[in-house]
Amino acid sequence: MPDPGPNPYLRLRRQMFFGLLTTGLVPLVAMGVAGFVANRDSVEQRTRAGLEAMIKNRKVTVELFLEQTLRQLEILSAHGVAELSDPVTLAKLRDYARREHGALLDLGLIDDHGRHVAYAGPYDLMQVNYRNEAWFQQVMLHGQYQSDVFLGFRRFPHLVIAVKKPEAGHDFILRATVDSDLLSALVREGGLESGADVFILNRAAEYQTSYLDKHKLMARADTDAIPRHSGTRLVEVRRGQCREIMATSWLRGEQWVLVARQELPGVSALVFAHPAVPAVFLLGILLVPILAYLIARHRFRQVRSLESERAALYASVSQTQKMATIGRMAASIAHEINNPLAIIHAQVGALADSLEDVDLPHSQDLRQRIQKIEAQVERGRKVTHRLLGFSRRVGPDAESIDVAAALDETVGFLEKEVEAEHIGIVRQYDLNAPIVRSSLAQMQQVFLNLINNAVDSVNEVDRKGEIRLSIYARHDGVEVRIADNGAGIAPHNLGRLFEPFFSTKAGKDDHTGLGLSICQEIMRGLGGRITVESTQGVGTTFALRFPLDIESDRGDATTPPERSS
Amino acid sequence: MAALKLLLVDDEAEFLEPTAARLARRQVACTTVEGGAAALAALAKERFDCAVVDVKMPGMDGLELLRHIRGEYPEVAVVLLTGHASVELGVQGIDLGAFEYLMKPVDLDELLDTARRAAAHKALG
Repeated sequence: MPDPGPNPYLRLRRQMFFGLLTTGLVPLVAMGVAGFVANRDSVEQRTRAGLEAMIKNRKVTVELFLEQTLRQLEILSAHGVAELSDPVTLAKLRDYARREHGALLDLGLIDDHGRHVAYAGPYDLMQVNYRNEAWFQQVMLHGQYQSDVFLGFRRFPHLVIAVKKPEAGHDFILRATVDSDLLSALVREGGLESGADVFILNRAAEYQTSYLDKHKLMARADTDAIPRHSGTRLVEVRRGQCREIMATSWLRGEQWVLVARQELPGVSALVFAHPAVPAVFLLGILLVPILAYLIARHRFRQVRSLESERAALYASVSQTQKMATIGRMAASIAHEINNPLAIIHAQVGALADSLEDVDLPHSQDLRQRIQKIEAQVERGRKVTHRLLGFSRRVGPDAESIDVAAALDETVGFLEKEVEAEHIGIVRQYDLNAPIVRSSLAQMQQVFLNLINNAVDSVNEVDRKGEIRLSIYARHDGVEVRIADNGAGIAPHNLGRLFEPFFSTKAGKDDHTGLGLSICQEIMRGLGGRITVESTQGVGTTFALRFPLDIESDRGDATTPPERSS
Repeated sequence: MAALKLLLVDDEAEFLEPTAARLARRQVACTTVEGGAAALAALAKERFDCAVVDVKMPGMDGLELLRHIRGEYPEVAVVLLTGHASVELGVQGIDLGAFEYLMKPVDLDELLDTARRAAAHKALG
């Protein structure tokens, strides 16, 4: 039996482990990735929908505000120039407008030379001339005007709206400063989700609304100028590590564009949005290798146990075959020896007969010598008959066995070794032990193995070796005990004693470590069992239980007549 | 008891001669032949009570001779004698109608006793 070595087993075990690991992890990871992508897409969809709804809503609000402001200025301009030129009346109108709408910071009436006719407001602007200002030209040309946010003469960011008021052949301009803070507040009204932002840009992408120190009025925004387009446009932009969706919508007149941005959640934000999900995933990732390891270990043990059983079976079969071969050889040798023995026996018998007829001087001595020859022939006959008896019993057929005789015959095989080592054999047989039906050859193989082991064991120690053979009658069969006073077996080896290829006899050439496992296999096959007790330094006892009748369905009860000695 | 007439069949003359001499001393009429063919020839000429036949012989072996005797001389009892023993052979010999099955070397008294019992058994049968 070639030793397969530990490496193929380890490789098999590793392959099992990684196979199971892959089988477990691949679907788990695939599901995780698919789930992540689906979640990300769904979040993006929701973000787009939310932004679109918000920007439409804000656009309506802002356009309404700007329109109302302009409308208010137009209503104020319905008053006559005479009224508007009076600073007191103008201040009253301004106060009224502030109460109504709150957006107008000041109010000024300017003549067609760009000079203030009247002014109501917090700034000192009476001396300022607007004739060369661009907005002045715009109002004169188009009748009304709305500026971007700018600093102007007030040195304060604001925006200006103005309407032309023609009267008495002159063009006057009613001009108001609008609080840009109000616009800023309006744009962000109702609060925003985290990661969201909304603001207004002019055509040059400069902020028209402010928010804390994030958007500074008139500062250039961190985006390119927005090309003009109709309706709402959604684009995805990347800013540093972040991805965001940007929604843009041009306000009426296409002077300003309303911009709303929403950051998309990053990988970690998406993963940890619902902590139970990554927790379950992580648990799976941890559990799969553990389960793979446990299953691989279990399967591996099963495989190894099957392998051991197979090896033991193979060893048992090959041992049986070996014994059968030895048996056939023994039979053929015995035959070759028996024929000359028969001739010697016959010739010596005839010689003895002849001696009876004559009276020779030394006939007594001759008779003694003839008896010695006959005794040696008898000895030779016993040897060959025992060999033939041994060979004949190789086979699985059940027969009636006197266990004591079978045990003694086995000891006979080992007589020489036992004598050479001065080992004492102590027999303690229960004469009431029943005859059992079993396989003699297999029973004797077990005896032979155990007595051999006992001889080896007592040879290891200095004291005089003793092997004690006991037979007990049991209610369900016969128990045989084979005990030695040898070295004993270490407790940690005791449990592995019957494992195939396990051996405590290191360095013995002919030792396979299969003997006891074969014994166990045979005892199982015979419907019996083998147990062992051992105390280190004291000795070892093997106990064998044989049933009364081997549990067998081989119905051949024909036992040939016993003919050998 | 009538004098026993024995036919001893073996391929070894060295065995036949002293055995026949010893039987003669014991007043047993014994004819010896080497081989199965010679045995059949002897049986054709003379009547025997019992044939003691070695199993392993060149040419016609003991079992074949046994078959011939059973077929042609059913009144002759057969005792098989061999240096080789196996259960199969023993069972086969008994099945073929041999009275007994003895192993070499055999004690002369045992041989004679068995041959007498075989002849008596045949006479009764």
